[in-house]
This record gives sequence, structure tokens and C-alpha cells, in this order.
Amino acid sequence: MTNRERALNILHFKPVDRLPAVHFGYWPELLKEWAEQGKIPAELAEGNYDGSEKDRELERLIGWDFNWQNMAGPANHLMPPFECKVVETLPDGTVRVQNGDGNIERVKPGITSIPSEDDYLLKDRETFETQYRHRMEFKPERVNLDWFRKLNDERPYDRPLGLHLGSVMGNIRNICTVVGMSYLMYDEDEDLFADIVDTYAEMQYQCAKAILETGAKFDFAHYWEDICFKNGPLIAPELFDELCAKHYKKRNDLCHQYGIDIISLDCDGVVGKLLPTWVGNGVNTMFPIEVGVWGDQFEPARKQFGNEVLGVGGMDKTALRRDKAAVDAEIERMKRLTALGGFIPCPDHRLMPGTKFELVQYYAEEIKKIRI
Amino acid sequence: MNTELLKNISENLQKGRAKLVKELVQQALDEGISPETILNEGLLDGMNIVGGKFKAGEVYVPEVLIAARAMNQGAQMLKPYLEEAGVQSIGRACLGTVQGDLHDIGKNLVKMMLEGKGIEVIDLGTDVAPETFINTAIEQDCQLICLSALLTTTMGVMEEVVKKAEEAGIRDKVKIMIGGAPVDDAFCKKIGADAYTPDAASAADVAKSFLTA
Repeated sequence: MTNRERALNILHFKPVDRLPAVHFGYWPELLKEWAEQGKIPAELAEGNYDGSEKDRELERLIGWDFNWQNMAGPANHLMPPFECKVVETLPDGTVRVQNGDGNIERVKPGITSIPSEDDYLLKDRETFETQYRHRMEFKPERVNLDWFRKLNDERPYDRPLGLHLGSVMGNIRNICTVVGMSYLMYDEDEDLFADIVDTYAEMQYQCAKAILETGAKFDFAHYWEDICFKNGPLIAPELFDELCAKHYKKRNDLCHQYGIDIISLDCDGVVGKLLPTWVGNGVNTMFPIEVGVWGDQFEPARKQFGNEVLGVGGMDKTALRRDKAAVDAEIERMKRLTALGGFIPCPDHRLMPGTKFELVQYYAEEIKKIRI
Repeated sequence: MNTELLKNISENLQKGRAKLVKELVQQALDEGISPETILNEGLLDGMNIVGGKFKAGEVYVPEVLIAARAMNQGAQMLKPYLEEAGVQSIGRACLGTVQGDLHDIGKNLVKMMLEGKGIEVIDLGTDVAPETFINTAIEQDCQLICLSALLTTTMGVMEEVVKKAEEAGIRDKVKIMIGGAPVDDAFCKKIGADAYTPDAASAADVAKSFLTA
């Protein structure tokens, strides 16, 4: 069996010869660490991204079968992006930078992490109309039609290939920031916020439609959201449903028309309260199910929605920083989850600094021994 | 006393209606209600209810953010009157995101909730060195040090703060509280901090209990 067949069979509750060893990439700091330790060649520590040749080379070194984030998609964010520029350098070396979303981020030399916003631009209707609407609308150059027309002939079939559907709320959160989004949608201009969501979502739908109309075939489709944190959603579930449900349904119905029946969604944090919107509107595969850092779990979702909910992820990646016993315990837990069907174990986010190279190799080797 | 007006302040604060809250606070002052009463029975009452609902999972981060904005704007109006009347906070905390970490949403939520309990907060910002927490606690006579971290790579700095507090001889004078995505109660015990809380509202409850014990 190929790894593509293994993945698709598992997610359709069909038998496979063994589990595939699936991963979700690495934080760049870890690759540098491994290079310094002599575990990987230095050139693999720079410029790695999901699905790249370097990613494949790392897979071979470690023993992974594939990265779930093996996807193709359109240019479905702000087009053109805002000019990235330094707006201020503070005495302690911190630099205030305008990013591609128009927001001001704090960046300090030597600290690489999730962006930390200082200020945001999209605060009112006028700014939206003059600076954002045209960047959010569909235009033909968002989709490289020639590239997608050749995809079926040129893609590898040893691993599943996903169509990236973008996001409904996650990128809006990036653009407006958590604070700005909260003020807009709850107090300052609810209609404007809904207009932003609708404008952005329609562009993403048009992008997906243009790609699918080329005849390109995908094994699954995928969203990125990141709209939850340790204590649950960053927005009331009722409001999320009101703003977003119709957009998930429209995009997912389109995918179904083109034979895509696995639609995964990447959301960090504890996602349970948003599942009714997602599952009720065609998203059926949760990823990466962050057990270790945020305390999320797959079983409650399966209990609530039965086999309508599939999973990719759920392996506590922090075990890979500890010891063999911790990894063995996770493998045993993965065996139990795998037995439920429709679940593929995968570290529950990108591997972080301090992760032990040998333990990752060991995990990949052992997971492939599991028969279903 | 116009209890209906105070209730109105509390309810509108819970809805995050900052402009209206300011108008109502002004009306209460004009009616001669004491600033302390407006603060306690209007603003802090409203923020306490929001905090309780957040803890119970009945409201979410956006509702807390807009309620806190309304509270801050109302409290700013009361500040000169409270100072003039000599009204004291129930205690003082210094708060920050630890060194190496630039994230501040969680830290800001805790600040809002602490202020909602009548605690004075010195916000040290993000990327704060252990020495800064200790020096501030000494110089500003803080009873609480509150530490936030989002990253697994920075949570270790919290342990350094605890050690520095011991070295500076203030460990028995301050309570050290920790919070953030990667930390938990086990980590809190391991590093010798006094309390881990899973959310901002719980942090405020525990902080108040330390200050009023």
C-alpha cells in the first residue's frame, strides 16, 4: 500500500497493512538545534517548509512517511500585502514592524515566536473600504491555473494531497488582532465585521472554485483557523456560527461536488465548543488535536459526533522531549485511539526546541509497526 | 442612594458599552453618590460578574475585553475623586510576560481582572527580566508578582524569578503567581511558585484571597 492509500483507507474506516508515520513539521529553532548537535546537515535547518524538498529529506532521515500539511492552494490572503517595514526601533533593541497585514508587530533580535501585535490598522469602515477591500477581493492572478491543470500528471501519488481552502475566521483574527476583532464585532461596528468576514470568505470560495474547475484532483481539503486557545474559543460559539457557518457550508459543498469528502481543519487550542459549527457544515477531520500544550482530546468529539468526526494528530509531542517511557506511553494511547477507526496519529503540533532526535526516530519506527 | 443607577452601570459594563458607562458614572457623581460606592457597586460589581461568567465558560475573551475597556474608562473618571478621598486599593501587584516572550493578551486579561478586584497593578509589559520583577516588587512594595508566558521556551524564566526573590530576601513577603498556555499546577509546584491559575478570572480570585488573607 502507498501512504496515500493508507491515509485514505483509515479515514474511510477501511483496513490497512500498517499505520503511516505522519508528522506536522518543526519549529525552526529545533532544526537549528539538531544541526548544532550534528543530527542533521546544516543546510536542512534553513529554509525548510511543509512539503519542500528539505522536508522530504528530513522525513527520510527521521523515518516519517509524510507531512499532513502536504497541500496546494491559491494566493488567498491579502493581495497585494502591505509593505513590510520598520516603523520604530526602541532603545532595548525591539523593533516595531509593519507586517503584511498592515499591523504593527514587536520583534526583538534573538526571539522568534508567534507574532505579537502592538497595534492594528483595520479599525473602521473607511479603512476597510480604502485599504483592505481591494486586497481581499478575488482576482484571476490569485490562482495559477496552468500549474493546477498539470497537477494530476505531475503530483506524487505516494502521499495524500490536500487543497488549501484558507480560513474563514483565522486570518481575519490575524488582520484585526484579537483585541481589534473583539471591539469591532461586539461593540463598535458589528456590520463592518460581518462585511469583512463575508468579503474575505467569498474570495476564498472563488479561489477554490477556480482551482477545482481546472480538473485538479485532491485527496482532501483543509482549513487553517487558530481561533481557540487554552480555555476554548476566542469568540462566542453562537456568534462564530452566525458569522461563519454559511461560509463553511458553501465551500464544503463545493468540495463535495468535486468528490472531496475529507475536509480537515487546523485549529490550535481547545476546540470542542466550535465543533458543532464545523461538523454541522461539512468539516469532518480535526487536526492537530493539541493534547500536550493545551489539553485538547479527540475522544469527546468522537463521543459527541460518532464517526462523522475523524482525526489526524492527538499525539502529545512533549513526550518527544522526555524519554522512551513517555513515548511508549503515547504509542499505547495512540493504539487505543487508532482502534476507534478514522484516526491517524500525528504529533499534535510542530516539534519544538528540546525535542530529542532519537526519540522522534524511535516514535516514527514504532508507529509504523502498528497494524489495524 | 440611586441603586438602580449603580445596577445600570454594572449591567452596561457587562455589555461593554464604554461610552454609556462613562455617562452613567458622571450621572452618579452628579447625584452625589460616593466614588467608592460607584467603583464597588457599579464598576467592580459588573467586572466581577463578567469574571465569574468567563470562569464558568459562559462568556469569552471578547466580552471580557470590552467589559474591561468600559471599566477602565469609568475608573479613569473616578481616579481623581478616589485619590482625593484617600481610597486605597486592596493591594499591589507587579505583572508581566517573562523575558524572551513578547505576548501580552493573557497578561492583559489578568491585569483587567485584577483591577476588577480593586487591586493596583504595575504592568511591566512583555519580555521582562527576572531582576525587573524583583526590583519593582521591592521598590513599589508589591505583595504579588504575576508572571505570564505563552511559550514553552520561556516558561523556565518563571523559576528564575522565584530564585531571585529568594536571593533578594523577599520570598516570604510576596506571593508569586503564574499563568499561560504551557504552565500548569505541577510546574508551579516544581518551581516553588505560590499559585497557578488556569484563567484570568481565577487569577483575580486567588490574588484577592492572598491579599485579604
